[in-house]
Amino acid sequence: MFKDLNPILHSQLRLAVVSLLIGVKEAEFTFIKKKTNATAGNLSVQIQKLKEAGYVEVIKQFKDNYPQTICKITEKGIAAFEDYVKALQQYLNVNK
Amino acid sequence: MAEEKQLTHQESLELITQMLQNAKGHFHTSGTSAILWGSVVGFAGIMSFLQRMFNFSIGFDVWLVVLIAIVPQFVISARESRNRRVLTYEESWLNAVWMVYGFSVFALLIYLQVVPTISVKMFAAEGKTLLIRNNSTKEVTAYYPFTLSASSLYLILYSLPTLTTGIASRFKPMIIGGILCYVFFIISLFTPFVYDVLMNGLAGIFSWLIPGLILRRKCLKAKMANV
Repeated sequence: MFKDLNPILHSQLRLAVVSLLIGVKEAEFTFIKKKTNATAGNLSVQIQKLKEAGYVEVIKQFKDNYPQTICKITEKGIAAFEDYVKALQQYLNVNK
Repeated sequence: MAEEKQLTHQESLELITQMLQNAKGHFHTSGTSAILWGSVVGFAGIMSFLQRMFNFSIGFDVWLVVLIAIVPQFVISARESRNRRVLTYEESWLNAVWMVYGFSVFALLIYLQVVPTISVKMFAAEGKTLLIRNNSTKEVTAYYPFTLSASSLYLILYSLPTLTTGIASRFKPMIIGGILCYVFFIISLFTPFVYDVLMNGLAGIFSWLIPGLILRRKCLKAKMANV
């Protein structure tokens, strides 16, 4: 029995963001934007969706008088990512 | 990157791998702190050795420069933190290791300063005095206790964060520097104090100054490549 792939993660940009955040403790919005080659608007919307799902924690603060957005993956996000990878492995093993 | 593009399973896996690699390869440091501490400890160790070897004095305890170096270190740390766009787990762990190392060096410094005085006072409270006897003159004088080869203890401490950083970030110059600290430690066990301070200076140069300069060169190269 195959598990359905999590629809929140099964989207190119959201998966890219979560995959990036899983490898680091925290990252600035500008760093994620650079690494994913996404536009600021699009990235902002997708991060908001991840935040609403409880997968990502977003900290907004000021640094040197400029707004700074820091993103961190949550425990729930890590668990969802692990489940997603497991489900993906199942599909890929069958297709071999 | 398109937002709602539906991925095939293979594409998902490739994307995850690519992003994990992106995050993994990000750890870098300019080596400024390593250069600072390598120069300071190297200078203090060699100057201390030269003063004792050639019987001259520069008028103050040269090891005070190590304490003074804490000030620029705060400035460097604040600047690095301001410019950091991402914090990897590796960086945060290594920062913790270096912070604990700093506390430990400070604790050892206090131990070496406090314990002899306190010991003399405790013996005095019990009505006892430590004495030392000169076998040639038979003269017996009051003895002020001190830790023998105290500089050797610093060498063990130097190795801990250096070797940890070298192994964790697969940076050979720091691995070599960390191993050399242990080599200098073993040598210092068999040499008089004057050579122990020289070993401290050399440890500073090989563990931090040289790796720091290599890091600096790498960092400048990477910056030039991005221009």
